[in-house]
Formats: sequence, C-alpha cells, structure tokens
Amino acid sequence: MSLTDLIYLSQKSLRSNILRSVLTSLGIIIGVSSVITMISIGSGARQEVEEQIERFGSNNLILRSQSSSNRGVSMGANSINTLTLKDMEALKNELPAISAIAPRVSLSTQIIANGNNWLATVTGTTNDYFNLGNWKFELGRSFQDDELDSGSRVAIIGKTVQKNLFGTDSPIDEVIRINKVPFTVIGLLDAKGGTAWADLDDTIVVPLKTAKQRLVAKKFPGDQIRSMTINVSSSDLLFKTEKDIDTVMRKLHKISANGNPDFVIRNYAQFLNARQESSRVMSILLATVAGISLIVGGIGIMNIMLVTVTERTKEIGVCMSVGAKKRDILLQFLIESLMISLIGGLIGIGLGLGVIFGVSEYFNWKMSLDYFSLVLSFVFSSSIGIIFGFYPARKAANLNPIDALRYE
Amino acid sequence: MIKIDSISKEYVMGDNKLLALNNVNVSILNGEFVSIMGSSGSGKSTLMNIIGCLDVPSSGDYFFKDDNISNFNANKLAELRNREIGFIFQNFNLLPRLNALENVVLPLLYSGKNQKERNNLALKALENVGLKDRVHHRPNQLSGGQQQRVSIARAIAGSPKLILADEPTGALDSKTSIEIMKILNDLNAKGITVVLVTHEDDIAKYASRIIKMKDGQIIEDKKNVPN
Repeated sequence: MSLTDLIYLSQKSLRSNILRSVLTSLGIIIGVSSVITMISIGSGARQEVEEQIERFGSNNLILRSQSSSNRGVSMGANSINTLTLKDMEALKNELPAISAIAPRVSLSTQIIANGNNWLATVTGTTNDYFNLGNWKFELGRSFQDDELDSGSRVAIIGKTVQKNLFGTDSPIDEVIRINKVPFTVIGLLDAKGGTAWADLDDTIVVPLKTAKQRLVAKKFPGDQIRSMTINVSSSDLLFKTEKDIDTVMRKLHKISANGNPDFVIRNYAQFLNARQESSRVMSILLATVAGISLIVGGIGIMNIMLVTVTERTKEIGVCMSVGAKKRDILLQFLIESLMISLIGGLIGIGLGLGVIFGVSEYFNWKMSLDYFSLVLSFVFSSSIGIIFGFYPARKAANLNPIDALRYE
Repeated sequence: MIKIDSISKEYVMGDNKLLALNNVNVSILNGEFVSIMGSSGSGKSTLMNIIGCLDVPSSGDYFFKDDNISNFNANKLAELRNREIGFIFQNFNLLPRLNALENVVLPLLYSGKNQKERNNLALKALENVGLKDRVHHRPNQLSGGQQQRVSIARAIAGSPKLILADEPTGALDSKTSIEIMKILNDLNAKGITVVLVTHEDDIAKYASRIIKMKDGQIIEDKKNVPN
C-alpha cells in the first residue's frame, strides 16, 4: 500500500468528521503558535538590542542636569543647568576608565532654509559626539579644530532635516538660518531611523562654542552644559564607572552621599538589559504555554485516536479480512494522527504569524521571524502526532481479525 | 483444495471452557459449492472463520492447497486472505465513507496493485455483479441487495479461488436473496469454490454439497442436487 493511498484513506476519514479533527488539533494549534511567537519575540529582542547598541554606541553613560527639589519646589527639567565643562574636565582627569566625553547643549528652534521652515533640535557639541553616538556621514565632514575653537557658523544636519528643507538635494554648502543666525552646512549624517520615542534624524549639530555664543548664551551661561555622553573603555567597567561618576559629581557639587543629587546618570545598557529581561520572561511564559499545550494536544490526539480505533473496530476487521496486514493498519492510523497534528501545526503557524504581526504592530515590539522556528514547529507537531498516535495505532494493528469483525 | 485435519477450537470464557469445534475432519475440493448448516452455537461460523484464516484452531492441522497454514503468522495469513479468499458477510461490512468503487478497490490496495490496474479490476468486478452504473454511490445510497452485490464484487475483485459467504442473504428479502444466490451460482460455475454458511434450507439447497453441524461436530455430509 503506497503512501498516497494511505494519505487518501486518512483524509477521507478525517473529513468525515471535520469538526472533531479541528478540535483535536486545537492543542497543537496553540502550542505551535506559541512556539513561533516565543522564538520571534526572543530573537526580535536580541536583534533590537543589537540595533540599539549600533545606534547609540556601546558602553555609553549619559550624565544629565537635574533640577534639585530639595527646597520643595521642582524647577522643571530644563530650568537649571547644573553641569559645567569644569565637571567634564574633572571627570576625565579623575576616572581613567573614561575614554571620551562629548558635552552637549541643546535647544529646539525654528530653522529656515531654501524658503522652507522646520522645527528641529539643535545640538552644540564636539566631534566626540559623532564617534560615541555611532554617527556616520553620508556627505561632507565633521568639524575641523579651528571651527570648534573659533566658534564658526557651520552645521551638520540629519536626514529628516535635509528632507524637510532641501528634499533630496545635497545640502552641502547651503546656508540655513538657525534662530535667524546663518550657518553653512558642511555635513549630512546617515539615517538612523526612528525609535519608539524620537526621530533621531531630526537633528542639527553645531560646534559647542558656536552654540554657546550665538544660540544658547542665555540658557547656558558661562561654561554650563546640558548633558554629557561618557564613553567607558570597557563594558565590564560600565557599572563601576557609573558609581564612580556619582561619587566624583557629589564631591564636585558638594552633595552628601544621601542628599538629593542635581544630576542623573542614565545607563543605557541597563535599559537594554531590562528590555531583554522582559522579553525573556515573556519567552519563558510562552514556552511554558507551548510545552503544556503541545503535551495536552498530544494527549488529546491520543484520546481521539483511541476513540476512533474503538469506533472503527469493525472496519479494521473488514480491512484485515480483505488482506490488510498489521503494518497497513498501523500506518493508516499513524498517518491519520500525523495529519491531525500537521494540520494543527499549519493552522498554528498561521495563527503565530498573525500574533507576531499583531504584537509588532500594536506594541511596537521588534519581532523577527526565522525559518528555523517554522521548521521547528513542523518537526514538533509531526513528532507529537507520531508519538501520541503510536499507541492507538498499535492497538488497532494488534486487533485479532475475528474479534474486530465481530465487534458491535 | 482444503483439508481440515482433526481440528478443535476451544474458547475460554471465565471459568467455562467452550468447545466450539470438536475434532472436525473435512475436505473441500476445488470447484465445489458447499453449504454448512446448523443452528446457532453449532460451530458452523467458527469452522468458516478457520477456513477463512480469520481465526486459528486450538489444535489440528489446516491445509490450504498444499500449505499447512496452522503455523502461518498473522502477516502470512493476511496475504493468503488477500490473494486466495473473498469474504461475503451478512451485514455487507462495507466501509461507509468509501463509494462502491473504493470499497471494491480495498483488497487490491493491500495487494499493492497500481492504481490503473486496480481500478480496471474493480470496475470489471462491479460490472459482473450488475452495478456498473452505481460505482460512485456510497453504501448508504444503495439498497441492501445492491450493497451485498458490492461486497460480492469486493470479494471477487482479486480473483480468489475461494469465496466464503457467511449468511449472505440473512439481511435480504427473498427476491433479493435469489438474485444473490444466482450470482454465487454463476461464480461457482466459473470454477470458484464457494463455501456458504446458512441456517435456511432454501438457501442451502443451491449448493452441491450440504454439511450439517451440531455441537461442534459434523453430523451429516451429503451430496445435493441443486434445484
């Protein structure tokens, strides 16, 4: 008896009871869709973390001013800039683990160029900013030393700014007006894409000195700055350096160890870890659901196959009387349970893809689908079908022909 | 063709032992048409099942053609049933999900014939029993007589040498019974050995030899001139 014949006979008997077949495969459907979702959540999270590191640079800490509220009045995040360039020099000198620091002042303001208007965030900083943030140049160049020292009116713009002011034209050597001050564009940054909370390409970068003199002189008087990006030489030192910075800053700002600091240190790695951790928890949860439902599904298949064997005892007797061997009967029931589980697997894959799509749309989670998970779920569901279908099939095959024929 | 040599069959039911066949000796020749008669419990069905290789005797030897099949295993018995024996049952025993043609194809499926060959053989068998225009009907769309003819077609599709009919007219009215018996007669005329189990005298009389059984033993074995 050939495989096609077996499949033909099996689909006949499955079709004669479609509702039962689908209900039987429900456990497999849920199991397989969980497996697929689980794997793509896991690999999506990993991929996202890698992308974020790629985007923001690795081993970076952000040190930012924070309004202290120890007099009972919160002044708002931007109201006081407590960080200074002196702090930056002190940190560099005291902590050898720090390999580079990019200071930053910023404002949000109107940009005019080419007859167009655009509201963008303008950052004043040094060339370290590009290195630490993994910024690449699509066109043009970074700042030259004399531009940084003299406070030249030169600017480097992001893709979003280019698009809104110049369309697809090259912005190099064009003049843009930031807060009415004309700047010459010398560079165009590569696109980084958006995150859930901001468009990273909606940016304009100018030399720190230029910004402080011409754009934010009132907001950041003297050597005040908004924040600094601190690069630590190795990821092992990240958490220790975070603590060291806290200690040094408290000393510089004369804040006791348990006083309210006027600064805040953001550890991006911490955020990524949390993100990875939450997706790991989600994965474990789904793996549990998948495991349980695959086993329950398998038992469901076994149960229904046992019922089927009992129901069809007489038929089995008839088949044996016309010459079916044990092997023929065994294979037929095995293929039937295999088909139930494979159909469940296919529906589960469909459902899983739907869930993946829905979750990535709705929660804005990155999910990545790989063929491995499809193959895995196929293997999973077919082995469930074979493992749990074997006992009923063997029971059918071992029936005594005359007992089976006489069964009522 | 068949030689039953002092065969006994014992069933154990709880503490009771039931001797369904008690030292039975019988030979059936090639081309014979034999009726086995007896009341229920006489052992006629047990004898029939042993002849049909569906059951194995507790003791004694069974020769089919020249093989002593008492020591055949389940798979060899299945092969023998498939190749040499066709069964006709009282309740037709057709598979409800399959149409007439597919039911007739079933034994050919197990003998490993290719699709074209087995479809041709099955169609020819259905034609022989006069059901050429009903090949795609399912059993529940056919009358009792038609269903029995499908099961005869299934029995002869693989060209067996022996046909075993267990009360083939038991579920049919007398007019249809006559039709069925005519078909069995025709098959016998073509040289197929037919063994019929029945408790009806009218039906038994179609055979050329009538064996009567009682309490697991043959009590009468005589020639009969069919009317």
